[in-house]
Amino acid sequence: MEGNISSLAAGLAMIGAIGPGIGLGIGFSKAMEALGRNPEASGAIFVPYILGLALTEAIGIYCLVVSLILIFAA
Amino acid sequence: MPEDEAHESLIHVAIGAEDLFVIGPLHFTNSMVGALLASIILLTAAWVFVRKPELVPSRVQSLIEFPIEWMANIVSGSSSRWRGYVALVVGLFLMILVANWLGLLPGVGTIGLKHEEELVPFVRPASADLNFTLGLAIVAFVVFVWWGLRLHGPVGYLKELVGEPRYMAPLMFPIHLISELSRLVSLSMRLFGNVFAGEVLLATMLALTTATLFTLPLAFFVPAVFLGLELLFGAVQALVFALLAMTYITMAIAEGQGGHGDEHGPDHDEAAHTEAGHPDSSVSTPASA
Repeated sequence: MEGNISSLAAGLAMIGAIGPGIGLGIGFSKAMEALGRNPEASGAIFVPYILGLALTEAIGIYCLVVSLILIFAA
Repeated sequence: MPEDEAHESLIHVAIGAEDLFVIGPLHFTNSMVGALLASIILLTAAWVFVRKPELVPSRVQSLIEFPIEWMANIVSGSSSRWRGYVALVVGLFLMILVANWLGLLPGVGTIGLKHEEELVPFVRPASADLNFTLGLAIVAFVVFVWWGLRLHGPVGYLKELVGEPRYMAPLMFPIHLISELSRLVSLSMRLFGNVFAGEVLLATMLALTTATLFTLPLAFFVPAVFLGLELLFGAVQALVFALLAMTYITMAIAEGQGGHGDEHGPDHDEAAHTEAGHPDSSVSTPASA
């Protein structure tokens, strides 16, 4: 059973995905709220919304990269 | 223990590209095949489209025109100098889109040569290789730094890095420098992480469903659902990469405009609008007029 500790560490690293998860939820709900208030603004909301989600999601991707490094490279 | 080994080989996913053959110092990897295939597909599509364009587009022509028009529409709302970088942004979008979706075709990660007990596939989706995504990110980085330097001059660009209260320079200069460089890392890592995670997810789903005879019928449906999800993610990640490249370039341009007259309120207001990538330019024109 080799590599158990780094597998555990890789799993623990993904705990960091909680933060972006909450952040993405808040971002999405706010975008939907804005869309509900002003449906004509969908074009104006779309690009900043995608960018905001991408920047929030980046933190989750960092966790993923750390755990991938722990699994494959370490 | 033999069962464990069998399970291990089912989820085998290599984090880096594997060499197909080596010519001198050039390691020809399977992700290079993926990138070349994506380029060939794009070039063929462009050739078919340019050969005889028609005013009333045929089905194929409108299929090729649609994503280009759609992206160009978004880019044209970002700033007044959009003609200078629209080709780059649309090109990044199309290249990443084709490279991502190429990885979902059957046989891409599964057909290959057996080399030292491990399968080396002939084709690997190019965007699941950090070299490819880092290359694209470097292109975007060079372009937005070049726009900043061109509109600002080297001195103005350094001033922008130093920041507003000049006495804070020892603290703010390294922070600005790192945040500038971290864009390179985050752009490339985001695309690589998403596509590679998608590959691992698909491989895991296939391995889970084919692990026992009881769950074998599920193997026809469960990976298909995730394949559909990956189609969506591939398009979203291509869009995100292109939009972020566009935003960084727009920010570099807006900083350049702000550097000439920082005291002007309306000028700054317009810069803020273009920074957010506002597609509706009619909102910002009354302020700038």
